Amino acid sequence: MWATAGVVAFALAWETWVRLRDVKPFVLIPPSRIASELADHPRFWVEQTWATAWHTVVGVSFALLSAMVVGAALAAFRPLEWAAQPVLVLVMVTPWVAYITSVVLWLGAGTPTILFMVAFVTFPPFAFAAVLGMRSADVAARELLRSVDASRPEVFWRLRLPSALPSLFTAARFATGLGLAAAYFAEGGSSSTAGGLGEVGKRVTLNATGGYEILWGSIVCAALLGVVLLVAVTTLERRLLSWHASQRLVIG
Amino acid sequence: MTDLPPGIALEHVSKRFGAVAALDPVDLTVAAGEVVTVLGPSGCGKTTLLRLVGGLERPSTGVVTIDGGTPEAARTHKRIGFVPQSPALLPWRTVAANARLLQDVNRGANPAALPDVDALLDQVGLAEFAGAHPHELSGGMQQRVALVRAVALGAPYLLMDEPFAALDEITRADMRHLLADLCEPLNTAVLFVTHSLAEAVYLSDRVAVLSSRPGRIVDVVDVPLPRPRTAELEDDPAFFAIETELRHLLHQGAGR
Repeated sequence: MWATAGVVAFALAWETWVRLRDVKPFVLIPPSRIASELADHPRFWVEQTWATAWHTVVGVSFALLSAMVVGAALAAFRPLEWAAQPVLVLVMVTPWVAYITSVVLWLGAGTPTILFMVAFVTFPPFAFAAVLGMRSADVAARELLRSVDASRPEVFWRLRLPSALPSLFTAARFATGLGLAAAYFAEGGSSSTAGGLGEVGKRVTLNATGGYEILWGSIVCAALLGVVLLVAVTTLERRLLSWHASQRLVIG
Repeated sequence: MTDLPPGIALEHVSKRFGAVAALDPVDLTVAAGEVVTVLGPSGCGKTTLLRLVGGLERPSTGVVTIDGGTPEAARTHKRIGFVPQSPALLPWRTVAANARLLQDVNRGANPAALPDVDALLDQVGLAEFAGAHPHELSGGMQQRVALVRAVALGAPYLLMDEPFAALDEITRADMRHLLADLCEPLNTAVLFVTHSLAEAVYLSDRVAVLSSRPGRIVDVVDVPLPRPRTAELEDDPAFFAIETELRHLLHQGAGR
């Protein structure tokens, strides 16, 4: 209710400001024009959004899975973690925008580059979360499992992985936004034909002959997609982490 | 190795952590089906002693044997039910699933007939909480789940590391009564570590009193009270007499 009111107020303020101040269309166009563009070509926008969603979800999922494997290894052997940490930090802090051209040259323009970029930039936060979470497994519970000689895989599945879920979900919320940005940017990579909102936006910018509705359409669709992904992650988190303190409402 | 009688035996077992002597050489036995309590002040090395028996630490000197074998072998064959100081329940598992946790791992070593977890939960008054999660339980209830989890192994030995230390006095009393009810019919050998005199007397066949750090055994006291132990026993003069004797020994061990 209040959330809707907030969004409506924001759109109204935007619309009024653009109209009253006569803002140039290459700076900003009013939301009503974006809305009518989206309404006029719903099929096109759904298709492009779907392509970006697919790139983001597949890339992020791949990062998550590989981070769990790597995280388990790092959590199990401390020297390995010490060795890997600087590399992970480097990957995390290096502006990926800067080296994407090299990736395009390496993998070629298209889906592989996009998926690689999404997975590559979202991998470090997942890896850190996995190591942290797996190491946070209750010491007493670990000893308890040792007291009956539980195997390493058993300790992983029954203790370490569930212990890592809360921090993995925190990372996932951060990573969906990051992955979406990487997907949008990589889709816009030169001569990509993989489709997606990023490619649509890039085409308009190259034309430089207007079509601002389309650029802003891609931005709004990307934003909506981001919201949907975040809601999906949060819903999954609620379900899987119902036992965790962060998901419990204070009653009474 | 097989010439030893069944049970736990510590021969001249000591433990140092770096420069710190945690435990002076200790000799102690727990026969099959016997309940032995190690009583001592905080930090006297009694938890270390228990961990040595459970194979979670290695002794600096001496030998620990369980049925003539090593503690590691006993662990591998799931012959030890461990009850840690904190309940260490897994928050994502229900009460019933937590109670089954130790049955669920290293399944190959489970005995042919596993105790019925549902019946055990019923026995400790948690049947209606079987589907609840640990955060919905009180501290005493959580520790009851931890007891069931250990007993559910059907192991011949239980090692208990001050399991009731964090509970209030009333709950502690309930818990020791419940523990006696739970273990007496099973004929399980128990090595129990505590700093509570009442727990030591109520539960044990024998009590080994440990001195302050580095722990050494001041004396081993027999508790000739009849079994099954009942709550009324705690008002018996004989109960007080043993408690008093143990208290003197504790003071003696602390003031050397």
